[in-house]
Amino acid sequence: MAGQSGSQLSLFTPDEVEFVAEDELVEIVPNLRMDSLNFICGDYGPFYPQIAIQVPLWLALALKKRGKCTIRPPQWMSIENLTQVLEGERESHAFQTLPFHYVEISRLLFDRARDDIPDVYMVRSLVEDIRDVRFHKVETNLENFTASAVTWKNMAAMEVNIIRAFSGRALQAFYRHENEQAVPDLDRTQDRQPQNLNDRPRRNLRPR
Amino acid sequence: MGDYYDIDDILAEEDFVPVQFHKAVNGVKIDESSERGFVEQDSKAELPFWLARGLHLQQAISIKVPACFNRNTRLEIEADAGSVDLRSRCSYFYEFGCKVAPYCDKSIGLLVSYAFKARYKEVLYKAHTKAFAAASKIMTFLTKEETNLYEAAQSSMAAFRKWRMGGPRLQRASILGRKRKPAE
Repeated sequence: MAGQSGSQLSLFTPDEVEFVAEDELVEIVPNLRMDSLNFICGDYGPFYPQIAIQVPLWLALALKKRGKCTIRPPQWMSIENLTQVLEGERESHAFQTLPFHYVEISRLLFDRARDDIPDVYMVRSLVEDIRDVRFHKVETNLENFTASAVTWKNMAAMEVNIIRAFSGRALQAFYRHENEQAVPDLDRTQDRQPQNLNDRPRRNLRPR
Repeated sequence: MGDYYDIDDILAEEDFVPVQFHKAVNGVKIDESSERGFVEQDSKAELPFWLARGLHLQQAISIKVPACFNRNTRLEIEADAGSVDLRSRCSYFYEFGCKVAPYCDKSIGLLVSYAFKARYKEVLYKAHTKAFAAASKIMTFLTKEETNLYEAAQSSMAAFRKWRMGGPRLQRASILGRKRKPAE
């Protein structure tokens, strides 16, 4: 029965979401010379010292771990942009545009490439604030949802993932209860229709 | 309709409904205290829903509104749905309500859906904010379906917190940790 089965709803753990996020591209500045790397997901390189290049986050972090590059923090992770986003989040009901994987990317960078981010404390607290404000917004949105269509733009992967199990089940339950109600309503609408059909010809007759 | 083998679906039909017999039935002993081996016409009894539904289809009985959807419960739900102890009334309140509604009182459908909408918010708030310790008190009120919802929300929130706090990045396969058995 809807809303009661545990295994039916497919769930991601946060670690899996993080794994997906590691495919996002970031810009790095390597300090080594290396031929291009050919992967299934694409070719990256060749790498020259001090020449910036785009690579997937996992590769960037692997190189960073070995001290072979510095990671350039993405555009949206600047203090100005984050302050603006935070203000936007507080003022409006809509979600501001942020990368789909902003929670995961920011956490990975804070953990493993702190020295590459200017003002890391400030940036970090801004990101945390944004995340809190947004999650609060998600909860207030969840309060007023029903079985009708749900449109929330710009939700991030992690935010969706947190409420995935809950909202999936709740929607199923809502849907089921709405359907229960719809049955008597149908009878009523069917009763009404013949009357309307009778009304229409009369209205049409009047102007003539 | 749910899956035929769905245990919750089966358990939801176990609840008793009050019924009234239209016909006298021979060779049946519903009540242990009655000594006669038949049921008189117009006698009242309580039967599990799955049995009552079958008899109702043969027009042998009529189904009355079960106790968990009576006027008192309605009033309580209208007053403050969030604090009604639905579990003690019927742990499959919603499913049972949906099943019973077509046979006795269609307005049960409305009641059930109203109750779910009102209680859903409570579950939402508490699941995402309260700690586990405080949870035990609310848990005693919730029906089976709500408990599932609550646990779903709790576990995904807990998993997220754990991820954010970090911890061991690499998990060791359980087989690696074992000590090798001494060779004999």
